[in-house]
Amino acid sequence: MSAILAIPIFWLVATLIVFEGADILSRRSGRHPLCHPVLLATPALIGLLLATGTPYPAYRESTALLNFLLGPAVVGLAVPIWKQRRLIRRLAKPLALALLAGAATAITSVVSILWLFGAPPEILASAAPRATTTPVAIEMAAQLGGIPALTTAIVLCSGILGAMIATPIFDALKISDFRARGFSVGISAHGLGAARAFQVNSTAGAFASLGMALNAVATCVMLSLIALLV
Amino acid sequence: MIGAIALLCLCQLAGEIIHRLSGLPLPGPVIGMVLLLGWFALMPRERPTLSAVTGWLTAHLSIMFVPAAVGLVEQGPLLARYGPALVVATMISTLLTLIVAVTVFRLAARRIPAKDEAP
Repeated sequence: MSAILAIPIFWLVATLIVFEGADILSRRSGRHPLCHPVLLATPALIGLLLATGTPYPAYRESTALLNFLLGPAVVGLAVPIWKQRRLIRRLAKPLALALLAGAATAITSVVSILWLFGAPPEILASAAPRATTTPVAIEMAAQLGGIPALTTAIVLCSGILGAMIATPIFDALKISDFRARGFSVGISAHGLGAARAFQVNSTAGAFASLGMALNAVATCVMLSLIALLV
Repeated sequence: MIGAIALLCLCQLAGEIIHRLSGLPLPGPVIGMVLLLGWFALMPRERPTLSAVTGWLTAHLSIMFVPAAVGLVEQGPLLARYGPALVVATMISTLLTLIVAVTVFRLAARRIPAKDEAP
């Protein structure tokens, strides 16, 4: 058995199969945020690693291909930004102001609360990019000396929470502008927020995707400036 | 198809090179994204294959961060100690960011008319 586990492609295949199963369950739930496939697949795979006594570095090496694809996927975020260039030009000032305010709030709030709890620097670095899309957050956290696994968990939780609370919050605040609603949920809750926004309204969905893509750049620039100054 | 993949990887490579040479703390792929935007601005035309490739990558992003997420298996003590703090911080931060961003957008959009609506 251990000889089979040591075959380089074993854990890649296991990950693909477990993820496909998780994705089927997620689809059956109507894509409920709490049934996100990563949220279902990760504990299952952790269970498999523990049950077989497989060390994480061996797992990581076997699934390196999936991790590798993150880089080109991040570069590809340029495409949706470029497609929305007319919208960006037309609403430049409100978009820029909301983006700066949102990105700054996301970073400072999570970092300061964790700091109050006495969290060490590697946890602050893991959480600081929490509002960006996961692949960007993983890269940024690694730059800052954070723990990519922790970042992934925090970012997913942000997205799930944002997707669930955005509509009730905006309704309570009596904000009916779907441009503002979509853009904000994209900034605060990245792809999961955008997926939810598309379910509510197509304008909100488009602005949410834009918010997610622009916030990936804005947050990285802000964190880099902070890193250079500190 | 290969051309589109090469363009994405080339941008990432250029981003990584800039990152290493300049010591800029921005991740290489993020610099690559900005470079690709610059390339679009220089050479504006339709790129259906590139759109298809990036669309496929984006649609399947979730599985790409499973290997990183499984790394939580090594973070047991940290999670036990700071788990509650992380939950509280993430909840408050997500809520605050939603409210601040939506409020600023509303205020700014009301004061600054969209360009095509300006007299």
